[in-house]
Amino acid sequence: MIVIDYTNNLRIVSLSINMNGIVIICGNYGSGKTETAINLAAKSRQKGMEVKIADLDLVNPYFRTREVRVYLEKLGVEVVLPPKKYMHADLPILTPAVAGMIQQPSELTILDAGGDDVGVTVLAALGDYLSQKNCQLIQVINPLRPFTETIEGCLKIKEEIETSSKLKITGLVSNANLIDETTPEHIYDGYRFINEVSDTTGLPIEFITASSRMIPELDMDRFNCPVLPIDRKLVPPWKSI
Amino acid sequence: MAKVLMKGNEAIGEAAIRAGCKNYFAYPITPQSEVAEYLVKRLPEEGGVFLQGESEVAVGYMIFGAAGTGERVMTTSSSPGISLMSEAISYIAAAQCPCVFVNIVRCGPGLGGILPAQGDYFQATKGGGHGDYRLLVLAPDGVQEAVEMTMQAFTLAEKYRGPVMILGDGLIGQMMEPVEFPEDLATEPINNDDWATNGMSTRKSKKRNLVKSLFLDPTDLNNHNLALKAKYDQMGREDIQFEAYNTDTDYQVLITSYGTMSRVCRTAIDSLKEEGIEVAMLRPKTLFPFPEAAIYDAATKDSCKTVISIELSMGQMVEDVERCVKGQRPVEFYGECGGDIPSPEKIIDIIKGII
Repeated sequence: MIVIDYTNNLRIVSLSINMNGIVIICGNYGSGKTETAINLAAKSRQKGMEVKIADLDLVNPYFRTREVRVYLEKLGVEVVLPPKKYMHADLPILTPAVAGMIQQPSELTILDAGGDDVGVTVLAALGDYLSQKNCQLIQVINPLRPFTETIEGCLKIKEEIETSSKLKITGLVSNANLIDETTPEHIYDGYRFINEVSDTTGLPIEFITASSRMIPELDMDRFNCPVLPIDRKLVPPWKSI
Repeated sequence: MAKVLMKGNEAIGEAAIRAGCKNYFAYPITPQSEVAEYLVKRLPEEGGVFLQGESEVAVGYMIFGAAGTGERVMTTSSSPGISLMSEAISYIAAAQCPCVFVNIVRCGPGLGGILPAQGDYFQATKGGGHGDYRLLVLAPDGVQEAVEMTMQAFTLAEKYRGPVMILGDGLIGQMMEPVEFPEDLATEPINNDDWATNGMSTRKSKKRNLVKSLFLDPTDLNNHNLALKAKYDQMGREDIQFEAYNTDTDYQVLITSYGTMSRVCRTAIDSLKEEGIEVAMLRPKTLFPFPEAAIYDAATKDSCKTVISIELSMGQMVEDVERCVKGQRPVEFYGECGGDIPSPEKIIDIIKGII
């Protein structure tokens, strides 16, 4: 059970996020994998878990986990990144330290993969290490994004990711949002949608996300799964104050 | 239509489709490759064609060929790629073929880096290619404006029968924002039977059309350049776009800035306002034609003591700003061009330093 103090009026999320061991975050391009990964790492660390996170995004040139390294390290999360001199390269660099963290995972080891099937190709390269471990592969879905606004679209991405990564997706996450223009209705619609994807695939819903600012407005009784509060970290520079 | 969450590069691709563009040729380069990734999925659904050229040089001439038929056509690239296309852009401008070039600018010169920049202002507005030509250049400050300008670009390209460029820094391509696609910005193509090499069988006129940029007779060539110049002058009369921000106050400083840099300036202006310091901004949305009169008027307001151009470059648009201000006020400059975008705090410090 997680108890989270969101606002002055203490709210309790009664369903806990059951994520531990090796958790690989994947999904279609721009589905919000990195914000989900960063917030899952931060919140898990804040409740006392030992957490490591690796930036495996080899396809996205900006807005990557590496940009919040300082924030995560201050919290005590171990961040595994490519060597510093390659931080701003658009090269597919896979640091050997990732294999090491898979071989010796912490309580929660998060691998933040890149988008679409091309983004998870790197997982196939880590196949020898991953096959020896129990790992969860979760598909992040934002139905307000192109190509995943339908069940068929989500299934297509799922199959492509599974083919490319040589792994099976084990769970789902709804990350329905329009960033600052998100309304509670978007979250409720996203929850309905992820339930349909879950019914079609038989995959469990691991959790859904909602901006921590919006959580006080949400009727939590409508959700039969945990809610991960998102404090957005990858913001453009004009929103930094 | 409900809003969707899109990356700038994807939104530009979708906007082109909504504008009726069925032809897209490109060569991948960071930070704009997602346009191609998006359109390779979407264009076939619309009966369109995506073709990857073997280089940007080839792509430039593929655009020329398609534009010569009067079809709506677009390419996207980033700085080094646009340099390679610049020869073709000059030919296309000379041959008067409508088409859309998108430059999602990265740091230069040379390979530079993959982070956002505005160092291609000169290239876009003063001609990266040779000869007396101009591009109509639109500079969005976010994803929604990138959508609207991409859709407008096709209409403007046909109005002026020439290439139009969207100039967005890397963040425009990479950031995500909620967007919608205004249906009223999609226009019907203008009849081009009088010039396009669109096949004799489909048009009523049996005149033989020829798309070319070679004029060996000096008088013919001079007249050709005068006709091109007349179009550029018309752009200045009819299609200047800009945004004035906080200009209805007694501001002491006028900022000129465009693209995502202007959004940082806007945050700084809002923050300074809370401290009782009024600063205004004039944001060109068209970099050519340039909002000359608007900048002069805003700079010469009685309360305004100083103008400062803030750019992700080492000082490019500032030269046009100085030209517009005509020595009536001091024109300062601040710029960075390594890929980091100055923070609002940095801009606030700079403004306080010149007050």
